[in-house]
Amino acid sequence: MEIKDYIGTPTGAGIIHVERGSVSRFAHAIMDANPVYHDLRASEAAGFTAPPVPPTWTFSANFLGARPEDQPQDSTGEKGNPIVKIMQELMKGGGLMLHGEQEFHYHQPVQCDDVLYWQSKITDIYTKESKDALMTFIVTENVFSNADGAPVVTEIFNLIHRGK
Amino acid sequence: MSETIPKLQYDAISMGDEGPVVTLQLSRTDLVRYAGASGDFNPMHTDEVAAKEAGLPSVFGHGMFSMGLLGRALTDWAGVGNLKVYGVRFTRQTWPGETLSTKIVVTGKEETPDGKIIAAELTLLNQDGEVKLSGTARVLAT
Repeated sequence: MEIKDYIGTPTGAGIIHVERGSVSRFAHAIMDANPVYHDLRASEAAGFTAPPVPPTWTFSANFLGARPEDQPQDSTGEKGNPIVKIMQELMKGGGLMLHGEQEFHYHQPVQCDDVLYWQSKITDIYTKESKDALMTFIVTENVFSNADGAPVVTEIFNLIHRGK
Repeated sequence: MSETIPKLQYDAISMGDEGPVVTLQLSRTDLVRYAGASGDFNPMHTDEVAAKEAGLPSVFGHGMFSMGLLGRALTDWAGVGNLKVYGVRFTRQTWPGETLSTKIVVTGKEETPDGKIIAAELTLLNQDGEVKLSGTARVLAT
């Protein structure tokens, strides 16, 4: 299988519970003491019905809010996350894996007590020649939706392999 | 459904206007705290011994920590809940002891069917002006 054949392949899916403790701790860790994240009174004054999440919170959501008992069936068909295989393939010749770019598109606010349904897939793989290395870019799109199926956040993750 | 009120006044914003500057002298404790709160325990960010064994001068900061810090400056400026798009390119590693500061510069204004949008260019720099992160954002104004 050529690496580019992985374009379109699902990389995972899951269900996230947005919990207050994780949101408050995450906000403190990015040096954000804004009471809107920590104190329900401030959240309500800002127009939310529960504390909202900081802009990059969803990137860690799978660690912060997944409950094993309600996860959906493995969207990769038990083949595992293809990114792991792609990385192994690329690293055979050495080099370095880097988080090159990260993008968030916000469709609706996310706040505590929300339940989010995410689904991710590889949307592009391309190469670029730089001065002294071949760079391979692997783009993954992760869409978080609410219970009605409406998207709330789309994440675009660009992983780079810098070959030798 | 929440209804937040955008913080920025569209008519009062001009090209070249700057957002608030958030400054942080990065410590190893900051990186350990971010590891714990985000779940990213890559030893290159938290384990000085492992980082040195890998040939690095010390641990270095998570890219997503830098993005979180810049995101905080963005929400301080535009108000939480008013971001539409936030994207960055990770250009350089951050190191403990560096003083990082955020920069937000207005580059565009646009009235769209989704509301009044302000576009901005973003950077995170160290004390010598070295760019660690560069990116763009689109935020809602009123």
